[in-house]
Amino acid sequence: MRSNRMGWGLLAPTLIILGVMGLLPFIYVLVVGFTDWNVFSATGRPVWAGANNFRRLVFDAEFLGSMGRTLLFTAIVVISELVIGFLLAQALVKEFPGKAIFRTIHALPLMVAPIAVGATWRLLTVPGLGILPHVLDKTFGIEYNVGRHASHAFATAALMDIWHWTPFVTLTMLAGLTALPKEPMEQALVDGANRWQVLRHLTLPMMMPVIITTSFIRIMDALRIVDEVYLLTGGGPGDSTRFMGIYIFRVVMQRTDYGYGSAVSLLVYYFTLVLCWMLFVGLTQIGRQQE
Amino acid sequence: MFRWNKVLGFVIVLSMLLTACAAPAAPAAPAAPAAEEAAAPAEAESWWAEAAAPYAGVTIRGISESTPPSRYSAEVLTKQFEEATGIKVEFEITSWDEMYNKPIKDMQANTGIYDFVYIEQDIIDSYLAQDFMTNLTEMLAEKPELQSPDFDFDKFTSFINDFKDAEGNIFGVPMEAFIKVNLYRKDLFENPEIQAAFMEQYGYELAPATTHAQYRDNAEFFTEYGRENDLDLWGTTVQGHTGHASSTYELVETILPTFGVYNWGVNLDTWKACVENGGEMNSDAAKEAFSFWLDMLNYAPPEATSSTWDEVAASFAAGRAAQGWVYGENAAWIATDPDRSIVIGNVGVAIPPLAEGVMEDAESGAGYVGYYDGGAFGIPYSSNNKEAALLWLQFIGQESVQAEWAAAGSRIVMESTFSDPLIVEMDGKVDNYYTKLKEWGPLFRGAPPFPFHNALRGNMDPPIWQALAGEIDASTALDEACRIAEETMMQLGFGE
Repeated sequence: MRSNRMGWGLLAPTLIILGVMGLLPFIYVLVVGFTDWNVFSATGRPVWAGANNFRRLVFDAEFLGSMGRTLLFTAIVVISELVIGFLLAQALVKEFPGKAIFRTIHALPLMVAPIAVGATWRLLTVPGLGILPHVLDKTFGIEYNVGRHASHAFATAALMDIWHWTPFVTLTMLAGLTALPKEPMEQALVDGANRWQVLRHLTLPMMMPVIITTSFIRIMDALRIVDEVYLLTGGGPGDSTRFMGIYIFRVVMQRTDYGYGSAVSLLVYYFTLVLCWMLFVGLTQIGRQQE
Repeated sequence: MFRWNKVLGFVIVLSMLLTACAAPAAPAAPAAPAAEEAAAPAEAESWWAEAAAPYAGVTIRGISESTPPSRYSAEVLTKQFEEATGIKVEFEITSWDEMYNKPIKDMQANTGIYDFVYIEQDIIDSYLAQDFMTNLTEMLAEKPELQSPDFDFDKFTSFINDFKDAEGNIFGVPMEAFIKVNLYRKDLFENPEIQAAFMEQYGYELAPATTHAQYRDNAEFFTEYGRENDLDLWGTTVQGHTGHASSTYELVETILPTFGVYNWGVNLDTWKACVENGGEMNSDAAKEAFSFWLDMLNYAPPEATSSTWDEVAASFAAGRAAQGWVYGENAAWIATDPDRSIVIGNVGVAIPPLAEGVMEDAESGAGYVGYYDGGAFGIPYSSNNKEAALLWLQFIGQESVQAEWAAAGSRIVMESTFSDPLIVEMDGKVDNYYTKLKEWGPLFRGAPPFPFHNALRGNMDPPIWQALAGEIDASTALDEACRIAEETMMQLGFGE
């Protein structure tokens, strides 16, 4: 009985912090999501709107467009980061000259705050000032302009994210690879398996927990991307880089439409949960099949 | 190898530390040693000290946009105020977006973080509609002991009227006011060889444009001139960021009025924007204006579609455009600051090109030729230090601090500043911008009195950006923008 009380006592601070910092804001957003509340409306006060905001979402082409764009962006960057990160981790498992320096330099982008990454890439890519448009124009005759061409902006945003977050994937994969037991691989090689077979039938299945965890973290991050892209393009040109995070930012911060913004946030939250759950089930099944 | 890793790590950490410990950069706005050194009359000094005695040690917090006038007030005036009163000022200079976001959230939640906030001319009606601001007229009447002998609302230009409610109560002390003019490169426009080449090509004399056709010819000519002579020179600036509010603002506040489309094309009586409902946002004149502006992208530097108001001023200062619509607050530094501009002494100031009838509309008061921008500092109703903030507002509203401030930020809010010797001297260096501000001021106008300004513009942005990105044409964009505008106003409870 006493130990039970003590246990709750020790847990209490964490539970209180979780309740105040996590649960209360969530409930608040949930309630606001069912109201019509724009600070600059004729009344300026929240008015109960039932499920109107959620109904509005279904027909909001701007939101649906941003959702599709975010999914495409997430798929491109997460897959690229996983593949490149895994290959780099494989390379870093082995010893080679300059490995430590390479690993340190490779990890540098991770230390940069997203807002600074956006600002740096903007300086690199803005026409008339940035080195990238200058080099592409003078060397290849390519008119590269992230402020004008949707495809340039989208590709640059994806490239920026890959540059920023691949080191994270590399490091987690490297940690996973170095923790793997060597015996099964050595035994397989002795039994005549080639390197591809070892990778396909041993390394990848054993790495699956690391891959799943890393994928979750990166998917959740990519789905809520705001600061880097906002600094780089502001969501433009047109709507080409207006991802869900930027859309929510515009609705809540710029249009001060708190009710609708909360509804969008809730949907995105739910959507992220479902997506991660589906991925978890899918990858777990693949892992089991390989075992 | 391990040692190399350590050395590299050490170098990185050291460089970070050195960067963090580096001396702060020199203030961007020209400092005003003369103002700092000028000794205020002993009597005035004693009044400030006496009035502020109950608030000595209090810290007031304020927020403003990063503009030359705001930076001057943060870097120069706060120090003078702190010395005179013992009240500490924490002044947050931030981006345009955050300058709106932070105070709105603060005032709405009644958190009392800010004691004074920047009120841009176009947001005042929204703030008044929500009772966000403290009535300064009333407060000064109730607290005569806080009324500075050097402060008088009557000394301000008529711009102060923008910060009054229907009863004439004042809610903000003006701190910046300027017009968005057509800046042009005098060294190019007055070059005899260039003039001859222009005459040969177009059959009339090269001059600052008075019509849109002339503006287009100028833009085309200088773009070709730059290309032929391998210069980084284009014909015009365009504030055409494809993901920032500044582009919508340039369209509705600067370009549309020059084609005779006022108030963003919104009918202020019915709150309708589309032609079929009595608005003008998608009228033929508006579509012609938008098409003209989109066409200007062909003659603008490549950074135009990534340019907000800041980048436009920087592009012009870097000599990359022969003419352009530039906010007047930048005129002084572009024309005089050798550290930031390469067109010193070569800056001309003109009224933007106009369609037929617009000047007559402006003179009669039925319309306007461009944007009269500016802002004031006001006290949020949520402030916990209203009295100390009131002293600060009066301090920046003294006649004695205006001239240096005007020289640093090309802004004038008081009648007497126009004749100050410093401004008279400065006027000659900026192609008489200050005189023109006084003379032309009545022809320009601020934003329409929308109580929902931000929400409306935020919803209208996407089609404007799509047109700038070349995804849709001007006509489609304005049809869509007017539909969205009407829908937004309806949602907000305006119009039927």
